[in-house]
This record gives sequence, C-alpha cells and structure tokens, in this order.
Amino acid sequence: MRFRDSLKTATASFKHGKMRSFLTMLGIVIGIASVIVLMAVGQSAQDYILGQVQGIGSNLIFIIPGGTNNGRFQSPAQSQGIVITSLVQNDVDSLSREPSISAVVPLVSGQADAVYGDNDLTVTYQGTTADFFPVRNFVVAKGYPFTANDVISDNHVVVIGSDLANTLFGPNINPIGKNILLKTTSFRVVGVLGPKGTGPGGVNQDDLALVPVTVAQNQMLGITYFNMVFASANPAYDISFVKSRIQSVLERNHGITTSNKDDFTVETQQDILSILGSITSVLTLFLAAIASISLVVGGVGIMNIMLVSVIERTREIGLRKSVGATEGDIVQQFLMESVMITFVGGLIGIAAGAIVVTAAWFIISHILAIAWTFEFPLTAVFLAVGVSAGTGLVFGIYPARQAAKKNPIEALRYE
Amino acid sequence: MIEVKNLEKTYDDDGTATVALQGVSFSIDKGEFVSIVGPSGSGKSTLLHILSFLDRPTGGRYAFFDKSIDELTDKQLAVIRNKQMGFVFQAFNLLSRLTVYENVEIPLFYANIAPSQRAKHIEHAVASVGLAEKLYVEAGKLSGGQKQRVAIARALVMSPDIIFADEPTGNLDSQSGAQVMGILDDLNKNGHTIILVTHETYTAEFADRIIRIKDGRVESDEKVHKPRRTAKEFFK
Repeated sequence: MRFRDSLKTATASFKHGKMRSFLTMLGIVIGIASVIVLMAVGQSAQDYILGQVQGIGSNLIFIIPGGTNNGRFQSPAQSQGIVITSLVQNDVDSLSREPSISAVVPLVSGQADAVYGDNDLTVTYQGTTADFFPVRNFVVAKGYPFTANDVISDNHVVVIGSDLANTLFGPNINPIGKNILLKTTSFRVVGVLGPKGTGPGGVNQDDLALVPVTVAQNQMLGITYFNMVFASANPAYDISFVKSRIQSVLERNHGITTSNKDDFTVETQQDILSILGSITSVLTLFLAAIASISLVVGGVGIMNIMLVSVIERTREIGLRKSVGATEGDIVQQFLMESVMITFVGGLIGIAAGAIVVTAAWFIISHILAIAWTFEFPLTAVFLAVGVSAGTGLVFGIYPARQAAKKNPIEALRYE
Repeated sequence: MIEVKNLEKTYDDDGTATVALQGVSFSIDKGEFVSIVGPSGSGKSTLLHILSFLDRPTGGRYAFFDKSIDELTDKQLAVIRNKQMGFVFQAFNLLSRLTVYENVEIPLFYANIAPSQRAKHIEHAVASVGLAEKLYVEAGKLSGGQKQRVAIARALVMSPDIIFADEPTGNLDSQSGAQVMGILDDLNKNGHTIILVTHETYTAEFADRIIRIKDGRVESDEKVHKPRRTAKEFFK
C-alpha cells in the first residue's frame, strides 16, 4: 500500500471521528505543551539569571574568602555562617600592582537601619572604593559617586539606591546634600543610583547604601578584612592567565605552597556563568522530563482508543484482507492513524505552548516589569514533533498488530 | 482454471475435530457460471473460503490456474485475491462513510496502481453496474440494491478472472435481486467466471451448472439442462 493511500485512509478516519480524535490526542497536546512551556520558560529564566551575572560588569573575577575542598566548590563562607578573614588590604595592594588587572575593588557588607526624619528602612549597606561604580556598572543618576579621596579621608558620604531614596525622602525632596543615619552614624548623601533591579544574589540593588570601605570597616563593622574582592581583568590579557596570576599573588601573600590549601576562591564570570548555566539547564531538563510523563499517559490513552477502533472496524479489516490487503498493509494503515493523531496532537501542543509562553512573557515583562526575554527554542519544537510521532509509533504498534492478525473469515462475520 | 481434488477441511475446536469438507472433487473452466448449493452447515461457505484463498484446506489439493494453494505464501494468496478474484458478499461490506468512488478504489490501493491511473478503472466499473451518477455519493446513503451493485463494481475494478458471490441477493428485495442477478448474468456473458454460493435452489438455477453440497460432500454436480433463469424470473 502506498504511503499516500495510507495517509488518505488515516485522514478519512480522523475526520470521521473528529471529537473522538481530539479527546484521544488531548494527553499528547497537554504533554507537548507542558514540555514546550517548561523548556521555553527555563531558557528565558536561564537568560535572565545569566544576564544578571553578565550585568555585574565585564571581565570580572570574584575573589571569595574560603577555599574549595580538593577542587569541589564550596558555598561562600558567609552563607555557611563562617567568618573567614583571609582577604586583607595587603592582597588588594598586591593585586593592584599587577599589569593584567585593571582595577581591584574590595567589598564589605552589613545590614543597618537607614533613617531620615520619621522614615526608615532596613537596608544592606556595602563599603567599597570609588572603582566600584565603573567596575560594577552602577550609574549615579543624581549627584556623583564618592571619590578615592573620600575613601582615603574616611569621609562620611553615601550613595543610595533609587528605592531607598524614595522611601526616605519621597518624590518631592532632593536627597543630595541631606544627612541620613546608617547604623547611628551620620552620612551625607552625595549620589542616587539609577534603577538596577534585583542582583544575582537576590539583593534588591535599589535599596543599597554604598559608603567608603574605610568607614565601613573601621566605624561600622570593626573589621580589617574584606568579605569579597572584585578584580577587573585587563582586556589585553587572557582571563585564565589573570585568574592564575591572582591565585599566585594571593598564595605568595598568604604563604601557601600548594593550591589545594588555598584559603580563598577565585572564580571568573565565565566560571559562574558556566555553573549557573549547567544548574538551570539541568533543572529545565528535569522539569521537562516530569512533564513528559504525561506523554506516556497520553500514549496509553491512544493505544486504548486504537484497540477499540480495531474492534469496531473488524469487518472493515476482513473486507480489506479479502480484496488483497496483506498483514503489512493493515499494520501500516492503523499505525498511520495512530501517528496522525499524535502528530496532530503534537502540533496543537506546540501552538498551545507558544500561546502560553507568549502570555507569560507579556505578563512578566510588561506587567511585572522584569527584563524577561522571549525564548521559543526550536530544539524543543523539533523534539516535540519527534516525540509525538514516536509516541504514536510506540503506542500504535500493538493495536496495529492486533488488527493485522485478524482472521478475514471471522472478521467478515463479525457483528 | 480451478482444479479441486479430494479437498478436506477439518477444524480443531479445543481438541474436538469437526469435519467441514471431505473428498470434494471438481473442476471449473474459464467462463463458467457455477452455483454451489446446500443447506445451512453443509460446508458451502467453507468451500467458498478455500476457493477464494481466504482459508487453506487441511487435506487434498486445490490448484488455481495450475498453482497449488500449498505452494503459495499468505502474501502471494493476497496478491492473487487482489488481482484475479472479485468478491460480492451478502452483507455488501461497503464502508458507509466513504463515497462510491472511494469504496470501489479500495482494491486498487493494494494493487499499487498509481492514483492518476485509478479514475478510469473506477468509472468504468461503476458505469458497468449502472451507477455512474452516484459516483460521489456516500455509500451509506444508497439503497440495498444500489449498495450491492457498488459491491459488484468493487469486485470488477481489477478486471478479475473470477467473481465469487456469497448469497448476493440474501438481503435484497425481489426487484433489487433481479438487478443484481442480471448484472452477474451479463458479466458471465462477457467472459467472467462466476461462482455463486446460495442455499436457494431457485437462485442457483441462474447458473449453467449446480454443485450440491451436503454434510461436507459433493452430492451432485450437474449442468442445468433447461434454459437457465433470467433476471425477469427473479420476480416470481
């Protein structure tokens, strides 16, 4: 039997029972739509997260206190509640002398109440240097960032985030020049940051308060070490080379002779992007695999309905065999019908998935105002088409074989 | 054309052997119109199924155009059924949701005839049974007589050597039955070999020759000496 003829027969059967065919394929539609949505949303989420990391700055290298354990990455010391004091000013000075490093930005952080008049807000404050602003892509929309001189002179100046400015001062008061209290210490507002949104660590960057690192260390935290150091690599140097230079400098400073004894961790932006990318990819695939369980359920439903169809069309099978259909022709016919149902179901599922993905993108980007990219991965579409056709083959073969094995004489007598 | 020698068919039903045919022998030449007559349970349907390659005997020999059924595979039997045999059933066995054209087209699927070549075969077959104007009507909307004529057209579309008709007038009124028998008569006059299976002696006498089957054996095999019945006589 020609492919075109079995397609024609399958189409006629499909059209004859449109409602039944649609209900039969519903499991496939839902399964494919779910997989498409999860893969698309997962891709968009990955883009968002990676975009957040890339938005921190370019050519960035993160130096975190606390080492990895024989190459296995450990979560930062602070998140485990452990205070590691290995990164100090001497390290910053040594790294600043490296030609392969454009800028070195130390960072300390803490939490405090920010107070102006009757208004207050608990915020995360960060003590850093003047290089923080260009290295970390923080733009001061009003006023100016504090300077290297402010840091050297321990000046009590602060640059605040846009949400913090709005909370403390409201829309009508210009914060520039005003004094606020941070952890009972008075600071003069010199700048207000442009909107930044949520950072990679989940911190609302519009609620930040940035002060000179010397003031933060000496007068607010009483520490001499840093919580983190950013290094901006010189673009003229390979990032891997810069990373290894940082490790060498710090190992020399800390008297460390073997790398697995490092009391610090150096990660490039690419390392972090790679880890985050792997994590989000695995999560996406995991969720898609869960969603594809519904495809198995849908396939069982199709097998069930095809078996019913074989019984209903017993006389037709007997007729076809009597006029010359072989077992192979009968298998081809019923398999084609099964694949048609799942294939059409797959196409509808892709369309339904596209609608949901578009709606999600609109809601997230326009209503929730989150920088969400619209992703519709073509790999998911091709996968969906292949899987839906494959489901039809796998779950259609048994009913097709049952049809083919029917005795034509008994089939012709069937009532 | 057909050579049957000591044909046997025994069914094994859970250890119990049922003999449906035993010692059946006859031959049929090209162009004959033969009736196989017998009461219910006589074995005539079993014989028809074997002659039409829908079943295999358990003993004896059956050769169709000198090809023994024992030497042919199931696939080869299917090819012969498709290209050299036509079937007309008592219950018509049309697909009611398909049109007349699509019903008659079915044997052409399995003959691997290109779609562009099919129309002329179908139109000729349907015209020969007088239903040209019904070509694109759904089979389910036809009368009983028209359905049986479509079934005959389907049987003819491959220009078969032989047509098997199993109680073709069993579900029809007299007028429709007359039309159907008239068509079979014309087909025979045009050279088609017809084997008609019936339990009615009256209908059997439309043929040139009657083979009577009883209890699985050939009781008699006689030519019809008087002028064979015509379609007009079906009204009686």
